[in-house]
Amino acid sequence: MADVSLAQVNDWLTRAKESVTENRGYLTELDSAIGDADHGSNLTRGFTAVVDKLASQPPDSIEALLKTSGMTLVSTVGGASGPLYGTMLLRMGKAVGESDTATPTQLGEALRAGLEGVVARGKAELGDKTMVDALDPAVVAFEEALGAGADAASAASAAAAAAAKGRDGTEPLVARKGRASYLGERSAGHIDPGSASVTLLLEALAAALSEG
Amino acid sequence: MIGIVVVSHSEPLALAAVDLAMQMAGQSPPSVEVAAGSDGGLGTDAVAVAAAIQRADAGSAGSGVLVITDLGSALMSSEMALELVEDVAGEVLLSRAPFVEGLVAAVVQASLGSSLADVERSATAAMPAKTAQLAGSDEDVSSTPAPTEPPGGTSRQASDGTAAGVESAATGESLEVEIVNPEGLHARPAVVLAKAAAALSVEVSITNVETGAGPAAADSMLELMSLGVRQGNRVRLAADGAGAAAALETLAKLIASGLGEGTGDNPPAS
Repeated sequence: MADVSLAQVNDWLTRAKESVTENRGYLTELDSAIGDADHGSNLTRGFTAVVDKLASQPPDSIEALLKTSGMTLVSTVGGASGPLYGTMLLRMGKAVGESDTATPTQLGEALRAGLEGVVARGKAELGDKTMVDALDPAVVAFEEALGAGADAASAASAAAAAAAKGRDGTEPLVARKGRASYLGERSAGHIDPGSASVTLLLEALAAALSEG
Repeated sequence: MIGIVVVSHSEPLALAAVDLAMQMAGQSPPSVEVAAGSDGGLGTDAVAVAAAIQRADAGSAGSGVLVITDLGSALMSSEMALELVEDVAGEVLLSRAPFVEGLVAAVVQASLGSSLADVERSATAAMPAKTAQLAGSDEDVSSTPAPTEPPGGTSRQASDGTAAGVESAATGESLEVEIVNPEGLHARPAVVLAKAAAALSVEVSITNVETGAGPAAADSMLELMSLGVRQGNRVRLAADGAGAAAALETLAKLIASGLGEGTGDNPPAS
């Protein structure tokens, strides 16, 4: 089974930037319902800075690439999404190590490490109406697909589909973490913006792995 | 002296809070580093917080750094910063204190040369002190919870269940003195008293005899302010152990002299 290359990881982040930029209005609309209406612009600014940084100083390993990307998000996103996405990418990079390829199993371990980093940083659990509600089922789906013999691209597609389902499942929930939790019961009836943006990231990953 | 890092979503908010706190710090303020805003706007940046922690650590010679945060992601960014810092000489502690009150208390306590743990204790005392002060302003003080833990906690019961602590208190020294300051024990005289108390080798507690509020630790400015002492109120100073009597005498003289504001008979400003 084909390994994941450094170029594909780079392509993932480029596609992530394009996707959050295209969906900037959608993310901001979700965030204006239950947050402070800056999720779309914050992530667009952050991922644009990531792509610029990777272009000006191309890293030579997956760990270096994800570390640079994570630190750039931390410094440019501003709200809680900065440390959360930054931690996710830093932990993913550490799990892969200083190599320019990753086996599908390593990518699964990296996604698991990224999820654990997000949970440790945000202290959110499943059902709190956060990005964890999309990321957790996505990681499980990736692992199950690999276990059933799928390649990395198919596993990433399964992960993206599971994330989208998790994202839609946040709609009736009452937020228990983050800014939306200040709204209490009024947060129900809206999709969580973090669960929507992490789904975009996983869809970008599936697209990057299905090419090249 | 410990270092202090201020983490805020807003740089103007952070700078104004530091300005306010520094007015209380006297001649030897601690070094205060600010990490506020993100990418020129509102927000927090864990990389900037980590850099501020490194600067505060370098300036405090291993005695420790207290990080005081405002709301939301300020705490998350600070937690992440703890993972980003490298080769830190002293302990770094994220404070549980409220932003403005905690910063003022921490800067004053740090300027007295107190340990990291003592500065954090003083900073977190800001919240119950405020609660007690409001409750005491128009209601019976005895009906409100005391700002500090009452004596007789689990540690004493663990010994033999008898009133050992009460007995040792009975052998301690105490004396009463009248507050002459026109505005009572407000912030500036409280700092003067706290500094003098911190320089003593014994721990002194202070009770407001008129209202029963206290006892407060004499070396904590915020606890002193929470006693709600007004001009003409008598306070009881108490201490145990060797040097207690001399220590109380020292503080009583300072209080009688007006804590840097002159005596009521002879106000310095008129």
